[in-house]
Amino acid sequence: MFRSKQKNAAVELHGDIWKHIQPGEVVLDARQITKRYPGGVLANDHIDFKIKAGEIHAILGENGAGKTTLMSILFGLLQPDEGEIYVRGRKTNFRSPDDAIRMGIGMVHQHRKLAPAHSVLENILLGHPKSRGIMKLKEAEEEIMALARRYGFEIDLRAKVWQLTEGEKQVTEIVKALYRGAKILILDEPTSALTPVETDRLLESIKNMTQDALGVVPFITHKLPVILAISDKVTILRRGKVVDQLETAETTEQILAQRMVGRPVIFNLQKEPVTPGKPVIQVEHLSARNNKGIMALDDVSFTVREGEIMGVAGVAGNGQHELAETLFGLRPAVKGKILLEGKDVSKASVLERWQLGMGYTPSERTEVGSIPDFTLVENVAMNYYFDERYQRKGMVDYKAIRQLTEQIIQEFDVATPGPDVKIRTLSGGNLQKVILGRVLSRQPRLVIANLPAQGLDVGATEFVQRKLLEARSQGAAVILISEDLDEILSLSDWIAPMYEGKIVAMIPGEKAQKDTIGAMIAGLHQEN
Amino acid sequence: MTLGGYELRLQRRAALPGWKAALFSVLALLFGLALFSIIFLQAGQNPLEIYKQLVNYAFFNPYGLHLTINRFIFLALASYAFIIPAQAGVWNIGMPGQLYMGALGAFGVVYLMGGKTSDLAGMPSIVVIVAMLAAAMLAGALFGAIAGWLKGKWNVNEIVVTMMLNFVAFYFVAFMIKDGGPFMNLGGRGESFELPEVARAPMVSDFPITLPIVFLLMIALAVLFSRMSLGYQIRAFGKSPKAAGYSGIKSFKIAVLVFALGGAIAGLAGYHYFTAVPGVYKIARTYGYFGDLSFYGMICGLISLSNPVATLFVALLFGGLSIGGRYVQGKLHLGFGVDYALMGVLMITLVGFQFFYNYQISITKKEKKHHVALSD
Repeated sequence: MFRSKQKNAAVELHGDIWKHIQPGEVVLDARQITKRYPGGVLANDHIDFKIKAGEIHAILGENGAGKTTLMSILFGLLQPDEGEIYVRGRKTNFRSPDDAIRMGIGMVHQHRKLAPAHSVLENILLGHPKSRGIMKLKEAEEEIMALARRYGFEIDLRAKVWQLTEGEKQVTEIVKALYRGAKILILDEPTSALTPVETDRLLESIKNMTQDALGVVPFITHKLPVILAISDKVTILRRGKVVDQLETAETTEQILAQRMVGRPVIFNLQKEPVTPGKPVIQVEHLSARNNKGIMALDDVSFTVREGEIMGVAGVAGNGQHELAETLFGLRPAVKGKILLEGKDVSKASVLERWQLGMGYTPSERTEVGSIPDFTLVENVAMNYYFDERYQRKGMVDYKAIRQLTEQIIQEFDVATPGPDVKIRTLSGGNLQKVILGRVLSRQPRLVIANLPAQGLDVGATEFVQRKLLEARSQGAAVILISEDLDEILSLSDWIAPMYEGKIVAMIPGEKAQKDTIGAMIAGLHQEN
Repeated sequence: MTLGGYELRLQRRAALPGWKAALFSVLALLFGLALFSIIFLQAGQNPLEIYKQLVNYAFFNPYGLHLTINRFIFLALASYAFIIPAQAGVWNIGMPGQLYMGALGAFGVVYLMGGKTSDLAGMPSIVVIVAMLAAAMLAGALFGAIAGWLKGKWNVNEIVVTMMLNFVAFYFVAFMIKDGGPFMNLGGRGESFELPEVARAPMVSDFPITLPIVFLLMIALAVLFSRMSLGYQIRAFGKSPKAAGYSGIKSFKIAVLVFALGGAIAGLAGYHYFTAVPGVYKIARTYGYFGDLSFYGMICGLISLSNPVATLFVALLFGGLSIGGRYVQGKLHLGFGVDYALMGVLMITLVGFQFFYNYQISITKKEKKHHVALSD
């Protein structure tokens, strides 16, 4: 019943092009794709690749390797200067994403393009042919739920998008693309915002999808284990060119990293031994609600001392974000106490917390951590407009802040034309370097780093992690919130796995084991 | 888009130097004037002649120039009242209400001193005038702060609040000056009592005292936004309230402050028209007209992209246009409303040309595409 409906819907959506599809058949054939940007940058240089039905074909490359351009061309957002795309043997000429969607190509963007105020159902229907005129919501809801169940997606159609975690938003986007009849699914860094458990669940669903002869193309920067886990083939891009095409079964993480970066990559950071000093932050029975009004942070207590990194591990939406915001005064605590170097700061304002030596690098780098329309200097001023050393009688000393910005650019190796360009022109990695550099330049006693390396490429990740270790060596206490267990394990002195708002256990870094922690953050293991 | 072998592309600009922005505004102005010439040609008039007469009257005729300057001062103050909250990302639509309250504040001081019935002989003029200025600004500030307080405390939409408060203030003025209200002219003409000599704003070389005040405000605002910590906080909040909160900027403080400052300046605009313009010196029966006129301040602020220096040029332009336009309309027997239509067209072209602040069109000769031969 459901299948026949699906097929009809498919025919209605893109004619008969997707009839009688066989696994293993070439469904998408990109030949000699070339794109030049004004200024002569060759973003894609004669790229060839084929996608077969039922195959997961990963595209790997660092930031700036040309992945985004290629993806945009496949989805009709950009037109290639040279080259052709064939979908099931038919030459296509995508003038817009609409054309691509009509040919059965679906795209899930890294920065989710959903309307936050609307429900999941409304977002899925938005732009769908069925949403024209009078919507048959009931029918659509049943179809979508059936679709989700088929591939094992958990989805709450009534929830508003702003209430969702990144993982849930991702699922919404995928289901949206599938419901629009996508037969080739392009996923832009699908796991970069997800946690191990969410990642596993997503990968399983993706595998389910290939059984229906869907072609899946994940574009990934540095989550090499993900590529190894799911893909059948990998195409590696470097500086706009295909440097290699490999069968996943025949490769290793080391080979992939080396081919992608063009040099051998060190996977282990040097962590100096540091003797922990006095307690910097003591948290007692801290609780806070999330945006839905649910107690997302539930009676958490811990202490972090000078020279220690506490790694907070957990799946997105288990209270880590609320923990960071509550510690920093951006979210009211329902109960509990926060002591900073023995001083009660539970009632202190955000400004006072900055002044008392707290520093926070938020995970939302463009919405919270920076002001895109401000220059680099003005962004650095975010942490200095109140500082006695950088203002006199209400006047900000922009000259001194400019010097400081230049220091940060140099010390953090930020790629920018200068300190006076708008920060929106910087890439994600460079933006994060400025934010981190700005916060660390205050020499805070406590650094709260919320997903500091998320979405960054290998080089920038290494850099950010090294800087956090430097802060630790200089005697700061660091709270590192990450969804990447490897990152947590390699940096932390103490590991605090979080599940449903509680810290499950406090494990010394050297004794920690990945699978134990993985089980704890999935709620499968309780330490007594 | 391609045109005859050439490819036109729209590109986002990385940065725009100030002189270029000014150049685009001048081009926009010329384009708007050229566009509006069609209307004049249609009416059988020579547009160049009309523009010449308009400019001559508004800026070179001594009588016209005074009218222009008075209007310029008013528009500049109304623009500043809009700009300060606009820099914080909130919309002050309450200039009319705030300027009414400012006018009432100034007249209230005189009334309390007994100036309604006596000529206040013996009172030093400077004391009366400073008290009036302070009262006008305070009344405007308090009235404006209502919207800021509601916004900061409960995030009540400031547009609705300021808009509605305009009506409150409008009828409050009516209550005060009409039908036996305390400020009513003893002759009962539906307007306020006339200010005694000592309470009238002094003239500085033939122009009202409010003219130098406008220039002082320009400097103050330019310094506020480019140098001061407070100005930084306002701008940061305007660009991104979330990022501002993260930096420790207090949203309640900013909301109340920008509306109080904007209201104070709007109060000055009220002070200007009813106590500083020669020949008025009372809250006129037609005070509502000035309330409506203050909305042009919003447009001046938007055209100048909240830049306090650029605002003065725009305010001068529209001050002159409204005076000169009305003059040529009467003199050359043009249709009713031509002056407003001209201002409207220029506002649209000025705002429309701001597209080029962010984008540029590049023209490149199109190369022939090489198609790879297909053999399947």
